[in-house]
Amino acid sequence: MNRTPARISQLFFLLLFLGLFLSTEYRGKDEIPAAVNSFFRADPLALATWLLAVKSFTLLLLPALLVLILTLVFGRFFCGWICPLGTILELVTGRIVKGKTPPWLVGRLKYLLLALLMGAALAGLNLAGILDPLAILLRAMTFFAHPLAGDAARTGWVGLYRVMGESRDHLAPGYSLLHDYLLPFRESSYPLAVLSALLLLTVILLERYGKRAWCRYLCPLGTLLGLLSRFSPVRRSPGRICGDCGECENVCPTVEEGKMPEGEECLLCFACRRGCGRSRVRFWFANPFKLRERPYLPARRFLLGGMAGGLLFARGLRWKSAEARERLLRPPGVRDEAEFLAACVRCGECMKVCLRSALYPAALQAGMEGLYTPLLVPRLGYCEYHCTLCGQVCPTGAIPNLPKGEKEREVVGKAVFDKNHCLPYAKKSNCIVCEEHCPIPRKAIRSRVVESLDLNGKKISLMEPYVVEELCNGCGICEHVCPLEGKSGVEIFGVKDKTPIAVAVAAKPAAKVRGGDEDPYK
Amino acid sequence: MERREFIRLMAIAACFTPRMAAAKELPVVGVATGTDYGKITRNAISAVGGMKRFVKPGDVVVVKPNMGWDRTPEQAANTNPLVVRAVVEEVLAAGAKKVKVFDRTCNDERRCYANSGIQGALKGLPNVEVRFIENERFKKVLLNGEALKEWELYGEVLSANVFINVPVAKHHKLTGLTMGLKNIMGVMGGDRGKLHKQIGPALADVNAVLKSHLTVIDATRILTDHGPQGGDPADVKIMNTVIASTDIVAADAYATTLFGLKPADIPVTVAAAKRGIGEMELKKVRIVRV
Repeated sequence: MNRTPARISQLFFLLLFLGLFLSTEYRGKDEIPAAVNSFFRADPLALATWLLAVKSFTLLLLPALLVLILTLVFGRFFCGWICPLGTILELVTGRIVKGKTPPWLVGRLKYLLLALLMGAALAGLNLAGILDPLAILLRAMTFFAHPLAGDAARTGWVGLYRVMGESRDHLAPGYSLLHDYLLPFRESSYPLAVLSALLLLTVILLERYGKRAWCRYLCPLGTLLGLLSRFSPVRRSPGRICGDCGECENVCPTVEEGKMPEGEECLLCFACRRGCGRSRVRFWFANPFKLRERPYLPARRFLLGGMAGGLLFARGLRWKSAEARERLLRPPGVRDEAEFLAACVRCGECMKVCLRSALYPAALQAGMEGLYTPLLVPRLGYCEYHCTLCGQVCPTGAIPNLPKGEKEREVVGKAVFDKNHCLPYAKKSNCIVCEEHCPIPRKAIRSRVVESLDLNGKKISLMEPYVVEELCNGCGICEHVCPLEGKSGVEIFGVKDKTPIAVAVAAKPAAKVRGGDEDPYK
Repeated sequence: MERREFIRLMAIAACFTPRMAAAKELPVVGVATGTDYGKITRNAISAVGGMKRFVKPGDVVVVKPNMGWDRTPEQAANTNPLVVRAVVEEVLAAGAKKVKVFDRTCNDERRCYANSGIQGALKGLPNVEVRFIENERFKKVLLNGEALKEWELYGEVLSANVFINVPVAKHHKLTGLTMGLKNIMGVMGGDRGKLHKQIGPALADVNAVLKSHLTVIDATRILTDHGPQGGDPADVKIMNTVIASTDIVAADAYATTLFGLKPADIPVTVAAAKRGIGEMELKKVRIVRV
C-alpha cells in the first residue's frame, strides 16, 4: 500500500470532503459550522471565472487566491495532494484496463476547453462548474449517490416495518444513527441525476487512456494550475528517466509513455523521489532566471481564438422559452439573473442543503446557459421562512448569506391566484390552506368573506383569498400546500423587481379586524 | 389478575359506583392560573383527578402537543414547552412505561421540533421518545362518519394505552379558533388540506373514534389573530392559564371564552357537541378553578 505523505494527504482531504459533504445538512441549528463549500472557496478555477465574470473580488474566495499563489511558487501540488476527484482516480486506476490514447485527447484540447470557459466568463457566463472536478464529484454525490443510498436505506427500513411491525422499534436507535449522520434527511430525487453520475463515470473511465488521464488531458482546473506552475521554480532532477533504472516510471501517477512529466504535468507527489532506488531524484528551487526552455504551449492565437469562441458561445446559449422566464425562481436573495449566472459555480450545494428539497438543478428550464443552476420548484418544495442555509453554503456568494430577518424579506417571486382552479372561486367551497400556511406575520395571503351561491344555488358565506403583493416574498408554501391535485390554484411567478419587502410594511402593527378585510393599500 | 383481587376490586367498585354516577352528570374542567407554568399544568390535572386516574403503571402514553410550526414559544403558535414537559413528567410519575411525543408538522419537522422548544424541554427525560412522523405507520381507520368514511391515523396513537391531547389555544382563520378538537389533525395522515371543505363534521368524525383521554389546553399565552401561525408579537396575549378536562369539547368551550368568544361561535366545537362527543354548554360543566 502506498503510504507516501502525498497519499496520506490525499486520503485526508478525500475524507474531509466526504465529511463536509455530510455536514452540509440542517442538524437542529440555524447555522452550519462547516460545509463542503470550503473546497470551492479554495478552488482557483472558481476564482478565475468569478473574477472574469463578475469583474470584482470577494473575500469568500481568498483561500483560492492563496492556492493560486502557492501554485505559482511550488507548482501543481493541489492535484497531487488535495483534489478528491484525483484521489478517487488514483484509487481506481489499477482496476481499469489501459488502452491506446486517442491523439485528439492529447495536447491542445484542454487549453481550448479552458480558453472557452474563460471566454464565456468574460461574457458574464460562468460555466466553470460544469467541468470543475470538485463540482463533478459533488453533483454526482448530491443528485445521484446520496439520494440513492437514502432511498435504499429508507425502502429497507419501511420493508422491515411491513415484516416486523412495531417490534422494528428495537432497531430504531441504529437506524436513527445512520439516518441522522449518513443519509439525506428527506428522500428526494433530482433531475439530471443520471447525467451527473454519467459525467463522473466518464471521468473515471477515461483512466483507460492512462493514469489520471482526465487530470492531464481535460480537467480545466488542472490545466489552469498547470499554466500557473509554469512559473514555479521548483524542478525535479534528473529531468528525465535514467537509462540504468527507470523505476520512477512505475511509481509516477502521471507518467506518459516513457516520459517523466515536466513542470506543468508534475503533481509534486514525490513518489519518484521515494521510489528511486539510487536516491538520485530531488526536487529543489531552480534559479527562475535560468530555467530551461518551457514545454509546449499552444500558440497565443489559439488561446485567443478559444477566448473569442467562449464569448460567442456564451451569447449563443442565451435563448430561454417564455415559460422558462415566467418560472425562473432563484434561491432567496438572488436579485439579478445576469449577476447570478456570473457568480454561480453550479456546485449543487444549495440544492443539497435545502431543508424542504425546494431547489433543483435546471436542465433546460433556465435556458441552455442555466444548466445545473438551482431553481425553486414550489410544487415540490417551498422556501422555509426562517431558513438561511443556501446562502450560508454558497461558496461564491451567488446566493448571498443573509441574516434571518433580511432573508425573510427577500423576494423570490410573487404568488398569483388562478381563479379557474382555486377552490373558493372555481368550486365555491372554503379552503384557505394557503392563507393558513403563509409565513408572513401579517399574511401576504388574506381572504375576504363574501356572500355567495354554491354550485347548487344555496346561499353560503365564502372566504375568497387574495395576495397582498407588497408582503409576498414568493416562498411558495401556498403553491406547495394547495390541496388541489395537479395544478395548484395559486402559483409563484418570477418578477423583475425583487426589491425586498419594506421593513415598514412588514412591521406595521396588525389591524385587529377579524375577517382580514382590512385594506392593505391604506 | 387473581380471582381474589378481582372480587376485592369489584367490591370497591360497587361502593363507589353510586357516587361516580352522580358525578358523571357534570363534566369537570380544571382551570389553573399562575405564572409557574409547570405548576399550573400539574394543578389543572389534579383538579380533574390527577394523572394516576388516566395512566396506569406500564402504560404506553402518547402526548400530542401542537408543534406544527417553525415558531418560537413566545409566538404562541405551538404548545408551551413548559406545559408539555409538566404533562410528560406527570405521565412518567404515574408509572408509564413509555411516553411518545410527536406531531405531523406543517413546516420542516426538524425546525418545528427544535424551535418550538419542545424537543429541548424533553431532552434527558427517561423513557420519552420524541420522533418524527414515519409515513408507514399511518393506518386506514374506518370512521363511518358524516364527512369521512375512513382516514389514515397514526399507528402510534392507535396502539397507545392513553392518548393525551395537549394543544395551544389560538386563532385560526378558517375555524375561528384551534384547540383540542383540531389538534387531532396532527395524527392524521393523507392530504389534510382536503378536510378544509367541511372541517367541522370531519373533525367530529375523527374525534368520535379517536378519544382524547385527557385534554390539557395551553393558554399560558394565546394567539389572537393571524393564526394558526402568527409571528407578530402584537397578536399574542398573556393569559397564564392551563385548562384540563376529560371532556375535550368542554375544555375547548372554556378556552373559547378566553378570546371573548362563545363556544357556539366555533363551528368545530358545535359539530363535536352535536355528535355527542362532549358538552359545549358551560352551564352544564363543573369548572374547578385552582
